[in-house]
Amino acid sequence: MEPMTLSRLDLFDDIAVRLDNVSLRYDTSDDILSGIDLTLKQGSFSFLTGASGAGKSSLLKLLYLALKPTRGEVSLFGRPTGRLARDQLSALRRRVGVVFQEFRLLEHLTAYENVALPLRVVGRKEADYRADVEELLAWVGLGKRLNARPPTLSGGEQQRVAIARAVVTQPDILIADEPTGNVDPEMGSRLMRLFLELNKRRGTTVIIATHDLGLVRQVEAPVYRLNNGLLVRDVEFGGNAAAGRRRTDPAKAAE
Amino acid sequence: MARETPLLPVEDAREAALFFVVAALCFLAALAALSAKSTYGAARAWTAEVEGELTVTLQDVDRRAAEDARKLIEKTEGVRAAHLLSKEEIDELLEPNFGSRGLPDSLPLPQLIAVTADPGIADIGPALQRKLTEAGYDCAVDEHADWAGDVRRVLGITRLIALTAVALLASTAIAVIAFATHAALLARKDIVDVLHLAGARDRFIASLFERRFWILGLRAGAVGALLALGAAAAAIFAAKAHGGHAGLLPELSLDYTDLMVLVLTPVVAGLAARVAARVTVIRALKSMM
Repeated sequence: MEPMTLSRLDLFDDIAVRLDNVSLRYDTSDDILSGIDLTLKQGSFSFLTGASGAGKSSLLKLLYLALKPTRGEVSLFGRPTGRLARDQLSALRRRVGVVFQEFRLLEHLTAYENVALPLRVVGRKEADYRADVEELLAWVGLGKRLNARPPTLSGGEQQRVAIARAVVTQPDILIADEPTGNVDPEMGSRLMRLFLELNKRRGTTVIIATHDLGLVRQVEAPVYRLNNGLLVRDVEFGGNAAAGRRRTDPAKAAE
Repeated sequence: MARETPLLPVEDAREAALFFVVAALCFLAALAALSAKSTYGAARAWTAEVEGELTVTLQDVDRRAAEDARKLIEKTEGVRAAHLLSKEEIDELLEPNFGSRGLPDSLPLPQLIAVTADPGIADIGPALQRKLTEAGYDCAVDEHADWAGDVRRVLGITRLIALTAVALLASTAIAVIAFATHAALLARKDIVDVLHLAGARDRFIASLFERRFWILGLRAGAVGALLALGAAAAAIFAAKAHGGHAGLLPELSLDYTDLMVLVLTPVVAGLAARVAARVTVIRALKSMM
Protein backbone atom coordinates (compact mmCIF):
# COMPACT_ATOMS: atom_id res chain seq x y z
CA MET A 1 0.00 0.00 0.00
CA GLU A 2 1.26 3.42 -0.97
CA PRO A 3 1.54 5.61 2.15
CA MET A 4 -0.22 8.92 1.86
CA THR A 5 1.25 11.86 3.62
CA LEU A 6 -0.62 15.12 3.60
CA SER A 7 0.28 18.40 5.10
CA ARG A 8 -2.39 19.57 7.49
CA LEU A 9 -3.37 23.13 6.90
CA ASP A 10 -5.04 24.97 9.71
CA LEU A 11 -7.57 26.72 7.57
CA PHE A 12 -10.39 26.41 10.07
CA ASP A 13 -10.17 28.27 13.30
CA ASP A 14 -13.54 27.33 14.72
CA ILE A 15 -13.73 24.68 17.37
CA ALA A 16 -15.67 21.61 16.27
CA VAL A 17 -15.32 19.49 19.40
CA ARG A 18 -14.51 20.44 22.94
CA LEU A 19 -14.48 18.21 25.99
CA ASP A 20 -14.01 19.90 29.35
CA ASN A 21 -13.02 17.65 32.23
CA VAL A 22 -15.34 14.91 30.96
CA SER A 23 -15.83 11.73 32.94
CA LEU A 24 -18.10 8.81 32.21
CA ARG A 25 -19.23 5.83 34.20
CA TYR A 26 -21.95 3.25 33.63
CA ASP A 27 -24.22 2.66 36.60
CA THR A 28 -22.08 1.74 39.58
CA SER A 29 -18.88 0.90 37.75
CA ASP A 30 -15.65 2.87 38.07
CA ASP A 31 -15.05 5.72 35.66
CA ILE A 32 -14.60 4.49 32.09
CA LEU A 33 -13.32 7.91 31.14
CA SER A 34 -11.80 10.28 33.63
CA GLY A 35 -11.17 14.01 33.41
CA ILE A 36 -10.85 14.16 29.63
CA ASP A 37 -9.99 17.53 28.11
CA LEU A 38 -9.88 17.69 24.35
CA THR A 39 -10.30 20.39 21.75
CA LEU A 40 -10.50 19.65 18.04
CA LYS A 41 -10.60 22.45 15.53
CA GLN A 42 -13.01 22.34 12.66
CA GLY A 43 -11.24 20.77 9.72
CA SER A 44 -8.84 18.77 11.88
CA PHE A 45 -8.01 15.11 11.32
CA SER A 46 -7.29 12.93 14.35
CA PHE A 47 -6.81 9.34 15.28
CA LEU A 48 -7.93 7.73 18.51
CA THR A 49 -6.22 4.54 19.62
CA GLY A 50 -6.12 2.41 22.71
CA ALA A 51 -6.35 -1.16 23.86
CA SER A 52 -9.61 -3.05 23.77
CA GLY A 53 -11.84 -1.86 26.60
CA ALA A 54 -9.86 1.36 27.00
CA GLY A 55 -13.05 3.38 26.38
CA LYS A 56 -12.62 4.37 22.72
CA SER A 57 -16.22 3.53 21.85
CA SER A 58 -17.48 5.29 24.96
CA LEU A 59 -15.55 8.41 24.05
CA LEU A 60 -16.93 8.27 20.51
CA LYS A 61 -20.46 7.87 21.92
CA LEU A 62 -19.97 11.09 23.84
CA LEU A 63 -18.82 12.77 20.65
CA TYR A 64 -21.75 11.63 18.53
CA LEU A 65 -24.19 12.51 21.33
CA ALA A 66 -25.36 9.01 22.18
CA LEU A 67 -24.37 9.45 25.83
CA LYS A 68 -24.25 12.25 28.34
CA PRO A 69 -21.08 12.55 30.39
CA THR A 70 -21.33 11.78 34.09
CA ARG A 71 -19.29 14.92 34.72
CA GLY A 72 -17.96 17.71 32.56
CA GLU A 73 -19.25 19.19 29.34
CA VAL A 74 -19.21 18.14 25.69
CA SER A 75 -19.51 21.01 23.23
CA LEU A 76 -19.96 20.74 19.48
CA PHE A 77 -19.44 23.75 17.24
CA GLY A 78 -19.11 25.91 20.32
CA ARG A 79 -22.45 24.81 21.80
CA PRO A 80 -22.45 23.04 25.17
CA THR A 81 -24.71 20.03 24.56
CA GLY A 82 -25.75 19.47 28.17
CA ARG A 83 -28.25 22.31 28.09
CA LEU A 84 -29.68 21.90 24.61
CA ALA A 85 -33.30 20.97 23.87
CA ARG A 86 -33.92 17.61 22.21
CA ASP A 87 -34.65 19.12 18.81
CA GLN A 88 -31.42 21.11 19.03
CA LEU A 89 -29.52 17.92 19.81
CA SER A 90 -31.14 16.27 16.77
CA ALA A 91 -30.03 19.21 14.64
CA LEU A 92 -26.46 18.80 15.90
CA ARG A 93 -26.50 15.04 15.24
CA ARG A 94 -27.36 15.78 11.62
CA ARG A 95 -24.00 17.50 11.31
CA VAL A 96 -22.20 14.40 12.58
CA GLY A 97 -21.65 11.31 10.42
CA VAL A 98 -20.86 8.09 12.24
CA VAL A 99 -19.36 4.84 11.00
CA PHE A 100 -20.16 2.31 13.70
CA GLN A 101 -17.80 -0.56 14.35
CA GLU A 102 -20.71 -2.99 14.09
CA PHE A 103 -22.06 -1.09 11.03
CA ARG A 104 -25.65 -0.90 12.35
CA LEU A 105 -27.22 -1.30 8.93
CA LEU A 106 -30.98 -1.85 8.82
CA GLU A 107 -31.41 -5.37 7.51
CA HIS A 108 -34.79 -4.85 5.88
CA LEU A 109 -33.50 -1.97 3.78
CA THR A 110 -31.38 -2.26 0.65
CA ALA A 111 -27.84 -0.91 0.46
CA TYR A 112 -29.22 2.10 -1.41
CA GLU A 113 -31.92 2.71 1.20
CA ASN A 114 -29.44 2.36 4.06
CA VAL A 115 -27.20 5.00 2.54
CA ALA A 116 -30.17 7.26 1.86
CA LEU A 117 -31.48 6.88 5.42
CA PRO A 118 -30.02 10.12 6.87
CA LEU A 119 -31.49 12.01 3.91
CA ARG A 120 -34.94 10.48 4.45
CA VAL A 121 -34.73 11.39 8.12
CA VAL A 122 -34.32 15.06 7.27
CA GLY A 123 -37.20 14.93 4.79
CA ARG A 124 -35.26 15.16 1.51
CA LYS A 125 -37.12 13.97 -1.58
CA GLU A 126 -35.76 10.88 -3.26
CA ALA A 127 -35.69 12.52 -6.67
CA ASP A 128 -33.23 15.06 -5.27
CA TYR A 129 -30.75 12.61 -3.83
CA ARG A 130 -31.05 9.40 -5.84
CA ALA A 131 -28.23 10.19 -8.26
CA ASP A 132 -25.88 11.27 -5.45
CA VAL A 133 -26.52 8.10 -3.45
CA GLU A 134 -26.02 5.89 -6.48
CA GLU A 135 -22.81 7.70 -7.34
CA LEU A 136 -21.50 7.35 -3.79
CA LEU A 137 -22.27 3.64 -3.74
CA ALA A 138 -20.55 3.24 -7.10
CA TRP A 139 -17.55 5.08 -5.67
CA VAL A 140 -17.23 2.61 -2.81
CA GLY A 141 -17.48 -0.24 -5.31
CA LEU A 142 -21.10 -1.18 -4.73
CA GLY A 143 -22.67 0.31 -7.84
CA LYS A 144 -24.06 -3.08 -8.82
CA ARG A 145 -25.32 -3.96 -5.37
CA LEU A 146 -27.71 -1.12 -4.80
CA ASN A 147 -30.65 -3.40 -4.10
CA ALA A 148 -28.77 -5.96 -2.01
CA ARG A 149 -29.82 -6.23 1.60
CA PRO A 150 -27.16 -6.30 4.33
CA PRO A 151 -27.45 -10.03 5.14
CA THR A 152 -26.43 -10.79 1.55
CA LEU A 153 -23.42 -8.47 1.69
CA SER A 154 -19.95 -9.45 2.92
CA GLY A 155 -18.47 -7.78 5.98
CA GLY A 156 -16.38 -5.48 3.82
CA GLU A 157 -19.35 -4.54 1.67
CA GLN A 158 -21.44 -3.79 4.75
CA GLN A 159 -18.64 -1.61 6.06
CA ARG A 160 -18.56 0.35 2.82
CA VAL A 161 -22.33 0.84 2.96
CA ALA A 162 -21.93 2.09 6.54
CA ILE A 163 -19.23 4.53 5.45
CA ALA A 164 -21.31 5.76 2.52
CA ARG A 165 -24.23 6.33 4.91
CA ALA A 166 -21.99 8.32 7.25
CA VAL A 167 -20.69 10.63 4.53
CA VAL A 168 -23.78 10.99 2.34
CA THR A 169 -24.87 14.16 4.14
CA GLN A 170 -21.37 15.62 3.90
CA PRO A 171 -21.23 16.05 7.67
CA ASP A 172 -19.19 18.66 9.48
CA ILE A 173 -17.79 15.98 11.77
CA LEU A 174 -17.09 12.41 10.72
CA ILE A 175 -16.55 9.85 13.46
CA ALA A 176 -15.43 6.40 12.38
CA ASP A 177 -14.92 3.42 14.67
CA GLU A 178 -12.51 0.97 13.03
CA PRO A 179 -13.66 2.00 9.53
CA THR A 180 -11.26 -0.22 7.62
CA GLY A 181 -11.34 -3.28 9.83
CA ASN A 182 -13.16 -5.49 7.37
CA VAL A 183 -11.86 -4.32 4.01
CA ASP A 184 -8.77 -5.27 2.01
CA PRO A 185 -5.78 -2.87 2.05
CA GLU A 186 -6.64 -1.42 -1.34
CA MET A 187 -10.19 -0.58 -0.29
CA GLY A 188 -8.88 0.63 3.07
CA SER A 189 -6.58 3.02 1.28
CA ARG A 190 -9.43 4.16 -0.93
CA LEU A 191 -11.71 4.81 2.03
CA MET A 192 -8.95 6.76 3.74
CA ARG A 193 -8.68 8.90 0.62
CA LEU A 194 -12.42 9.54 0.88
CA PHE A 195 -12.01 10.69 4.49
CA LEU A 196 -9.08 12.90 3.53
CA GLU A 197 -11.01 14.35 0.60
CA LEU A 198 -13.89 15.24 2.87
CA ASN A 199 -11.46 16.68 5.38
CA LYS A 200 -9.51 18.68 2.80
CA ARG A 201 -12.24 19.87 0.49
CA ARG A 202 -15.16 20.35 2.87
CA GLY A 203 -13.26 20.99 6.03
CA THR A 204 -14.93 18.01 7.68
CA THR A 205 -13.49 17.27 11.12
CA VAL A 206 -12.48 13.60 11.01
CA ILE A 207 -11.96 11.42 14.06
CA ILE A 208 -10.97 7.84 13.43
CA ALA A 209 -10.73 5.22 16.16
CA THR A 210 -8.51 2.37 15.05
CA HIS A 211 -6.13 -0.39 16.10
CA ASP A 212 -4.54 -0.30 12.66
CA LEU A 213 -1.16 1.40 13.06
CA GLY A 214 -0.57 1.08 9.32
CA LEU A 215 -3.60 3.25 8.80
CA VAL A 216 -2.32 5.76 11.34
CA ARG A 217 1.01 5.98 9.54
CA GLN A 218 -0.67 6.93 6.28
CA VAL A 219 -1.66 10.36 7.52
CA GLU A 220 0.27 13.00 9.36
CA ALA A 221 -2.24 13.73 12.06
CA PRO A 222 -2.40 13.82 15.85
CA VAL A 223 -2.95 10.52 17.54
CA TYR A 224 -4.70 10.31 20.90
CA ARG A 225 -4.42 7.23 23.00
CA LEU A 226 -6.82 6.17 25.71
CA ASN A 227 -5.13 4.52 28.65
CA ASN A 228 -6.93 3.61 31.88
CA GLY A 229 -9.64 6.15 31.17
CA LEU A 230 -7.16 8.95 30.53
CA LEU A 231 -6.60 10.52 27.15
CA VAL A 232 -2.98 11.11 26.19
CA ARG A 233 -1.30 12.41 23.06
CA ASP A 234 0.80 9.65 21.47
CA VAL A 235 4.40 10.70 20.90
CA GLU A 236 5.12 8.06 18.28
CA PHE A 237 2.66 9.47 15.81
CA GLY A 238 1.65 12.87 14.63
CA GLY A 239 5.15 14.30 14.94
CA ASN A 240 4.44 16.13 18.13
CA ALA A 241 6.49 14.76 20.97
CA ALA A 242 5.97 17.86 23.05
CA ALA A 243 2.51 16.81 24.11
CA GLY A 244 3.96 13.74 25.74
CA ARG A 245 2.16 11.03 27.65
CA ARG A 246 -0.01 13.12 29.82
CA ARG A 247 -3.50 14.43 29.84
CA THR A 248 -4.04 16.28 26.65
CA ASP A 249 -3.52 19.99 26.74
CA PRO A 250 -6.59 21.38 24.94
CA ALA A 251 -4.57 24.07 23.28
CA LYS A 252 -2.08 21.60 21.93
CA ALA A 253 -4.66 18.97 21.10
CA ALA A 254 -6.17 21.26 18.55
CA GLU A 255 -2.91 21.61 16.68
CA MET B 1 -39.71 5.25 -9.12
CA ALA B 2 -39.86 2.32 -6.69
CA ARG B 3 -41.88 2.76 -3.53
CA GLU B 4 -39.76 3.43 -0.45
CA THR B 5 -39.46 0.57 2.01
CA PRO B 6 -41.01 1.50 5.36
CA LEU B 7 -38.38 2.36 7.95
CA LEU B 8 -40.02 -0.08 10.34
CA PRO B 9 -40.02 -3.66 9.03
CA VAL B 10 -43.34 -5.18 8.01
CA GLU B 11 -45.36 -6.88 10.70
CA ASP B 12 -44.08 -9.98 12.39
CA ALA B 13 -45.60 -12.70 14.58
CA ARG B 14 -45.76 -10.39 17.59
CA GLU B 15 -47.97 -7.97 15.71
CA ALA B 16 -50.21 -10.81 14.52
CA ALA B 17 -50.74 -11.82 18.15
CA LEU B 18 -51.44 -8.20 19.10
CA PHE B 19 -53.88 -7.93 16.21
CA PHE B 20 -55.79 -10.94 17.56
CA VAL B 21 -55.89 -9.55 21.12
CA VAL B 22 -57.02 -6.08 20.02
CA ALA B 23 -59.67 -7.55 17.69
CA ALA B 24 -61.01 -9.71 20.55
CA LEU B 25 -61.07 -6.75 22.95
CA CYS B 26 -62.82 -4.59 20.36
CA PHE B 27 -65.38 -7.36 19.80
CA LEU B 28 -66.13 -7.51 23.53
CA ALA B 29 -66.14 -3.72 23.90
CA ALA B 30 -68.52 -3.30 20.95
CA LEU B 31 -70.84 -5.98 22.36
CA ALA B 32 -70.74 -4.33 25.78
CA ALA B 33 -71.50 -0.95 24.20
CA LEU B 34 -74.41 -2.45 22.25
CA SER B 35 -75.69 -4.08 25.46
CA ALA B 36 -75.41 -0.80 27.35
CA LYS B 37 -77.30 1.00 24.62
CA SER B 38 -79.93 -1.76 24.43
CA THR B 39 -80.39 -1.67 28.22
CA TYR B 40 -80.73 2.08 28.07
CA GLY B 41 -83.42 1.75 25.38
CA ALA B 42 -85.24 -0.93 27.36
CA ALA B 43 -85.12 1.21 30.49
CA ARG B 44 -86.71 4.08 28.65
CA ALA B 45 -89.40 1.86 27.14
CA TRP B 46 -90.27 0.17 30.44
CA THR B 47 -90.38 3.34 32.50
CA ALA B 48 -92.39 5.08 29.75
CA GLU B 49 -94.89 2.22 29.96
CA VAL B 50 -95.15 2.51 33.70
CA GLU B 51 -95.14 6.28 33.92
CA GLY B 52 -98.56 7.80 33.33
CA GLU B 53 -100.37 4.54 34.16
CA LEU B 54 -102.49 4.73 37.35
CA THR B 55 -105.07 2.46 38.94
CA VAL B 56 -107.90 3.95 41.00
CA THR B 57 -109.58 1.55 43.44
CA LEU B 58 -113.07 2.55 44.65
CA GLN B 59 -114.48 0.84 47.75
CA ASP B 60 -118.15 0.35 48.49
CA VAL B 61 -119.56 1.82 45.31
CA ASP B 62 -121.84 0.35 42.70
CA ARG B 63 -121.16 0.38 39.02
CA ARG B 64 -123.10 3.58 38.36
CA ALA B 65 -121.23 5.56 41.00
CA ALA B 66 -118.01 4.14 39.63
CA GLU B 67 -118.96 5.35 36.16
CA ASP B 68 -119.54 8.85 37.59
CA ALA B 69 -116.12 8.70 39.19
CA ARG B 70 -114.59 7.64 35.84
CA LYS B 71 -116.17 10.68 34.15
CA LEU B 72 -114.87 12.91 36.93
CA ILE B 73 -111.39 11.47 36.45
CA GLU B 74 -111.55 11.87 32.68
CA LYS B 75 -112.31 15.56 33.05
CA THR B 76 -109.22 16.09 35.17
CA GLU B 77 -106.41 18.01 33.46
CA GLY B 78 -103.59 15.78 32.32
CA VAL B 79 -105.71 12.64 32.04
CA ARG B 80 -105.85 11.13 28.59
CA ALA B 81 -108.24 8.27 29.24
CA ALA B 82 -110.00 6.46 32.07
CA HIS B 83 -111.42 3.00 31.72
CA LEU B 84 -113.72 1.30 34.22
CA LEU B 85 -112.79 -2.37 34.36
CA SER B 86 -115.64 -4.84 33.82
CA LYS B 87 -116.25 -7.85 36.06
CA GLU B 88 -114.69 -10.09 33.36
CA GLU B 89 -111.58 -7.94 33.19
CA ILE B 90 -111.18 -8.05 36.95
CA ASP B 91 -111.67 -11.84 36.92
CA GLU B 92 -108.97 -12.07 34.28
CA LEU B 93 -106.61 -10.04 36.44
CA LEU B 94 -107.27 -12.24 39.43
CA GLU B 95 -107.16 -15.50 37.50
CA PRO B 96 -103.55 -16.32 38.43
CA ASN B 97 -104.57 -16.20 42.11
CA PHE B 98 -108.16 -17.49 42.13
CA GLY B 99 -108.40 -19.75 39.09
CA SER B 100 -110.39 -19.53 35.87
CA ARG B 101 -113.87 -19.98 37.28
CA GLY B 102 -114.01 -16.43 38.46
CA LEU B 103 -115.08 -14.99 41.78
CA PRO B 104 -118.52 -15.47 43.26
CA ASP B 105 -120.86 -12.53 42.71
CA SER B 106 -121.46 -12.35 46.45
CA LEU B 107 -117.85 -11.45 47.10
CA PRO B 108 -117.58 -7.66 47.41
CA LEU B 109 -115.00 -6.42 44.96
CA PRO B 110 -113.74 -2.88 44.58
CA GLN B 111 -114.34 -1.08 41.32
CA LEU B 112 -111.12 -0.50 39.35
CA ILE B 113 -110.48 2.36 36.95
CA ALA B 114 -107.36 2.22 34.71
CA VAL B 115 -106.15 5.75 34.09
CA THR B 116 -103.73 6.87 31.38
CA ALA B 117 -102.22 10.28 32.09
CA ASP B 118 -99.93 12.46 30.00
CA PRO B 119 -96.34 11.52 30.76
CA GLY B 120 -94.42 14.14 32.68
CA ILE B 121 -97.45 15.60 34.52
CA ALA B 122 -96.34 16.02 38.09
CA ASP B 123 -98.47 14.91 41.04
CA ILE B 124 -101.34 13.55 38.98
CA GLY B 125 -101.89 10.80 41.55
CA PRO B 126 -102.36 13.09 44.57
CA ALA B 127 -104.52 15.43 42.43
CA LEU B 128 -106.90 12.58 41.55
CA GLN B 129 -106.92 11.33 45.13
CA ARG B 130 -107.86 14.79 46.39
CA LYS B 131 -110.55 15.32 43.75
CA LEU B 132 -112.23 11.96 44.35
CA THR B 133 -112.12 12.32 48.13
CA GLU B 134 -113.69 15.75 47.88
CA ALA B 135 -116.41 14.15 45.73
CA GLY B 136 -117.10 11.70 48.59
CA TYR B 137 -115.41 8.57 47.22
CA ASP B 138 -113.51 6.12 49.40
CA CYS B 139 -110.64 5.53 47.03
CA ALA B 140 -106.97 4.68 46.60
CA VAL B 141 -104.80 5.88 43.72
CA ASP B 142 -101.85 3.64 42.81
CA GLU B 143 -99.16 5.17 40.62
CA HIS B 144 -97.10 1.94 40.49
CA ALA B 145 -94.32 4.12 41.85
CA ASP B 146 -92.65 1.37 43.87
CA TRP B 147 -92.48 -0.99 40.93
CA ALA B 148 -91.32 1.74 38.54
CA GLY B 149 -88.68 2.80 41.06
CA ASP B 150 -87.39 -0.78 41.35
CA VAL B 151 -87.27 -1.09 37.58
CA ARG B 152 -85.37 2.18 37.27
CA ARG B 153 -82.89 1.18 39.97
CA VAL B 154 -82.21 -2.24 38.41
CA LEU B 155 -81.86 -0.74 34.96
CA GLY B 156 -79.55 1.95 36.30
CA ILE B 157 -77.29 -0.69 37.85
CA THR B 158 -77.38 -2.78 34.68
CA ARG B 159 -76.48 0.25 32.60
CA LEU B 160 -73.66 1.14 34.97
CA ILE B 161 -72.29 -2.41 34.75
CA ALA B 162 -72.42 -2.32 30.95
CA LEU B 163 -70.71 1.08 30.79
CA THR B 164 -68.07 -0.08 33.28
CA ALA B 165 -67.47 -3.13 31.09
CA VAL B 166 -67.04 -0.87 28.05
CA ALA B 167 -64.64 1.40 29.96
CA LEU B 168 -62.67 -1.56 31.34
CA LEU B 169 -62.41 -3.26 27.96
CA ALA B 170 -61.37 -0.01 26.28
CA SER B 171 -58.72 0.72 28.91
CA THR B 172 -57.50 -2.88 28.76
CA ALA B 173 -57.14 -2.53 25.00
CA ILE B 174 -55.16 0.69 25.46
CA ALA B 175 -52.95 -0.90 28.11
CA VAL B 176 -52.31 -3.94 25.89
CA ILE B 177 -51.44 -1.68 22.96
CA ALA B 178 -49.12 0.43 25.12
CA PHE B 179 -47.40 -2.72 26.37
CA ALA B 180 -47.11 -4.08 22.83
CA THR B 181 -45.76 -0.75 21.56
CA HIS B 182 -43.12 -0.79 24.25
CA ALA B 183 -42.20 -4.37 23.32
CA ALA B 184 -42.08 -3.38 19.65
CA LEU B 185 -39.88 -0.45 20.52
CA LEU B 186 -37.48 -2.70 22.43
CA ALA B 187 -37.48 -5.19 19.56
CA ARG B 188 -36.72 -2.36 17.13
CA LYS B 189 -34.23 -0.58 19.35
CA ASP B 190 -31.50 -1.04 16.76
CA ILE B 191 -33.57 0.87 14.21
CA VAL B 192 -34.60 3.52 16.71
CA ASP B 193 -30.94 4.02 17.71
CA VAL B 194 -29.80 4.44 14.11
CA LEU B 195 -32.60 6.89 13.33
CA HIS B 196 -31.95 8.77 16.54
CA LEU B 197 -28.23 9.08 15.85
CA ALA B 198 -28.91 10.08 12.25
CA GLY B 199 -30.64 13.16 13.65
CA ALA B 200 -34.27 12.04 13.49
CA ARG B 201 -36.45 14.08 15.80
CA ASP B 202 -38.48 12.29 18.46
CA ARG B 203 -41.74 13.06 16.71
CA PHE B 204 -40.39 11.61 13.44
CA ILE B 205 -39.54 8.31 15.13
CA ALA B 206 -42.81 8.34 17.09
CA SER B 207 -44.74 8.94 13.87
CA LEU B 208 -43.40 5.69 12.42
CA PHE B 209 -44.82 3.73 15.34
CA GLU B 210 -47.99 5.83 15.43
CA ARG B 211 -48.75 5.07 11.80
CA ARG B 212 -48.06 1.36 12.30
CA PHE B 213 -50.29 1.07 15.37
CA TRP B 214 -53.01 3.34 13.99
CA ILE B 215 -53.42 0.97 11.05
CA LEU B 216 -53.21 -2.08 13.31
CA GLY B 217 -55.86 -0.64 15.67
CA LEU B 218 -58.08 0.33 12.76
CA ARG B 219 -57.93 -3.11 11.18
CA ALA B 220 -58.26 -5.03 14.42
CA GLY B 221 -61.12 -2.75 15.50
CA ALA B 222 -62.88 -3.34 12.16
CA VAL B 223 -62.59 -7.11 12.58
CA GLY B 224 -63.86 -6.87 16.18
CA ALA B 225 -66.78 -4.63 15.12
CA LEU B 226 -67.73 -7.00 12.29
CA LEU B 227 -67.69 -9.94 14.69
CA ALA B 228 -69.86 -7.96 17.13
CA LEU B 229 -72.25 -7.13 14.29
CA GLY B 230 -72.42 -10.84 13.44
CA ALA B 231 -73.05 -11.75 17.08
CA ALA B 232 -75.78 -9.09 17.43
CA ALA B 233 -77.41 -10.20 14.18
CA ALA B 234 -77.35 -13.82 15.37
CA ALA B 235 -78.94 -12.80 18.70
CA ILE B 236 -81.69 -10.86 16.88
CA PHE B 237 -82.29 -13.75 14.50
CA ALA B 238 -82.52 -16.21 17.41
CA ALA B 239 -84.89 -13.90 19.33
CA LYS B 240 -87.14 -13.43 16.30
CA ALA B 241 -87.16 -17.15 15.64
CA HIS B 242 -88.48 -17.69 19.19
CA GLY B 243 -91.25 -15.14 19.10
CA GLY B 244 -89.25 -11.96 19.04
CA HIS B 245 -90.28 -10.48 22.37
CA ALA B 246 -90.21 -12.37 25.61
CA GLY B 247 -91.43 -10.91 28.88
CA LEU B 248 -89.32 -8.07 30.18
CA LEU B 249 -86.61 -8.50 27.53
CA PRO B 250 -86.29 -5.50 25.26
CA GLU B 251 -87.12 -5.96 21.62
CA LEU B 252 -83.81 -6.64 19.89
CA SER B 253 -82.97 -4.65 16.80
CA LEU B 254 -80.10 -2.75 15.20
CA ASP B 255 -80.66 0.93 14.60
CA TYR B 256 -78.46 3.79 13.43
CA THR B 257 -77.01 4.32 16.90
CA ASP B 258 -75.92 0.67 17.05
CA LEU B 259 -74.37 0.96 13.61
CA MET B 260 -72.63 4.14 14.73
CA VAL B 261 -71.17 2.24 17.71
CA LEU B 262 -69.85 -0.41 15.33
CA VAL B 263 -68.43 2.17 12.92
CA LEU B 264 -66.76 4.07 15.76
CA THR B 265 -65.19 0.96 17.30
CA PRO B 266 -62.29 0.70 14.80
CA VAL B 267 -61.79 4.48 14.83
CA VAL B 268 -61.57 4.54 18.62
CA ALA B 269 -59.29 1.47 18.60
CA GLY B 270 -57.05 3.09 15.99
CA LEU B 271 -56.88 6.38 17.87
CA ALA B 272 -56.21 4.62 21.17
CA ALA B 273 -53.43 2.61 19.53
CA ARG B 274 -51.99 5.74 17.99
CA VAL B 275 -51.98 7.73 21.22
CA ALA B 276 -50.61 4.79 23.22
CA ALA B 277 -47.83 4.35 20.65
CA ARG B 278 -46.95 8.03 20.68
CA VAL B 279 -46.82 8.32 24.47
CA THR B 280 -44.82 5.10 24.82
CA VAL B 281 -42.29 5.98 22.13
CA ILE B 282 -41.78 9.58 23.25
CA ARG B 283 -41.31 8.42 26.84
CA ALA B 284 -38.80 5.76 25.76
CA LEU B 285 -36.90 8.22 23.57
CA LYS B 286 -36.64 10.68 26.44
CA SER B 287 -34.65 8.09 28.35
CA MET B 288 -32.07 8.36 25.55
CA MET B 289 -29.89 11.44 25.22
